[in-house]
Amino acid sequence: MASPYAFRLALQSLSKDFWINLLSMLTIFAGLFIISLSFFIFYNIDAATRNLPEKFSLVVYLEDNLPKEKVDEVIASVRSRREVASVKYISKEDAFRELKATLKNSQYVLEGIDDNPLPDSLEVKLRRDAMGSEPVRKFAETTRKIPGVSEVDYGEKFLSTLHDIRNGMRTAGILLAAILSTGIIFVCYSTVKILFYRRNDEIETFKLLGATKGFVRAPFLIEGAAIGTTGGLTCLIALYLLHHVVILRIGASVPVFKTLLFPANIFLSLPLVGMFLGISGAAIALGRLKY
Amino acid sequence: MDLDGPMIHFQNVSKEYDNQSALHDITLSVEKGEMAFLTGPSGSGKTTMLKLVYLAEMPDHGSITIAGKEATSLGESGIPLIRRHIGVVFQDFRLLDNRNVFENVALALRIRGIAEREIKTRVADSLKTVNLRHKADSYPRQLSGGEQQRVVIARAVVAEPTVLLADEPTGNLDPETAEGVMRTFKDIHAKGTTILIATHNRELFRNSGKRVFRLNAGNLVGVEVC
Ligand SMILES: Nc1ncnc2c1ncn2[C@@H]1O[C@H](COP(=O)(O)OP(=O)(O)O)[C@@H](O)[C@H]1O
Ligand SMILES: [Mg+2]
Repeated sequence: MASPYAFRLALQSLSKDFWINLLSMLTIFAGLFIISLSFFIFYNIDAATRNLPEKFSLVVYLEDNLPKEKVDEVIASVRSRREVASVKYISKEDAFRELKATLKNSQYVLEGIDDNPLPDSLEVKLRRDAMGSEPVRKFAETTRKIPGVSEVDYGEKFLSTLHDIRNGMRTAGILLAAILSTGIIFVCYSTVKILFYRRNDEIETFKLLGATKGFVRAPFLIEGAAIGTTGGLTCLIALYLLHHVVILRIGASVPVFKTLLFPANIFLSLPLVGMFLGISGAAIALGRLKY
Repeated sequence: MDLDGPMIHFQNVSKEYDNQSALHDITLSVEKGEMAFLTGPSGSGKTTMLKLVYLAEMPDHGSITIAGKEATSLGESGIPLIRRHIGVVFQDFRLLDNRNVFENVALALRIRGIAEREIKTRVADSLKTVNLRHKADSYPRQLSGGEQQRVVIARAVVAEPTVLLADEPTGNLDPETAEGVMRTFKDIHAKGTTILIATHNRELFRNSGKRVFRLNAGNLVGVEVC
């Protein structure tokens, strides 16, 4: 379908209607650039917060003077839960020793306390997929009902906030990408439609001379692909410049910037994404036209 | 392709534009390899008849068969295939201003997917038959009306169509050039091409020994051999 002549026609049209094509290429560039920047920000926030829940643990306080077998029963019961990654038993002596070590420089706090006031406890780490605020709350609730458990403690607020932020960002990101992609497709759609109408006379002659649908359409699809690909490529170059010239340079004085991750592999697909969006727009435009 | 029947056959064909009759109940045939003329005053329906043959218009009543194929039953994809067997000299030329003479003629071959090497020689040959080889690089607006007319003829014949339709092909030509064009048509006809020429110029078919279909106000009023 795409003969060398189709490419020649597309090229002719790209140069003949240079400004229309440049304008829609720049619009596509802008759209992709906004998507990429949002993705870049999301990607970095995601990377920075991804490992936070791993440091998160629940503390299960046991009742005072629970006999050893009972303690083992509680541990076994907790460990049997699907969500649990690890369980660590911390005896009241260990806890007291650790407290003393922590307060080594302010021993006076513990002056007068001879009896160990701390209970035995379990430090429970959950699997990452059970780390949402709701599953953790449920887990804490059921654990609290196990005989021998007196209290369950966890950073509820922290966890739910983190969870909400990450979820919110993901939704906002997907929404933004969807809206802007639709916008890009629409830009290609209108461009091809305009170009098609501008060449209506020529196309009519093509058809009267016996041109097939494919012959008439191929140049427009190629043109849409070219506009989209160039838009994506320009976006890739702009991101690369932004990263190397701006972020790394600022990073020399503000170290935080140096730790920012640049998802080059993902950004390398931008020209392809642009091409796909360009062809889609062109195809929709041609599909809605009569031939 | 149907090998026995006529190349073009109109059966009780009527065509209206905005409820205005342009052709009324036309029945006629043009045989394979025949050269025939279509004549009549301006507005009598000559162009409309040719448009029905190259499928730019569809009949309101009756049926049209081209090489045995029923025109109204052709799908969207069938139309280009039929048109590739038909060369048309359009009354309004339909040359593309933004392409030079060579490209305008070459278009007919490019549409048929013919290889670039072959295109060069065939376009050159075809321009030679209309004496325009030296104008290959000119643009249509740089040519006289007669020269443009000959470019259109070159484009119509370059793909060696089975049927050649010509709408007032000498309308812009002086008698001498017109004679040259008619010679070209006769040469093409001699190779077996079916030709239908619409013209109001009697000189073209006088003493030709060809059939002439006479139209008047959309009616076929006579068929004679001149
Ligand atoms: N596209 C059109 N729309 C409306 N009327 C038309 C159209 N084309 C031709 N006609 C009318 O149809 C009649 C036949 O026209 P045409 O076939 O061009 O005649 P001819 O070629 O013999 O001069 C005329 O009355 C003309 O005005
Ligand atoms: Mg006419």
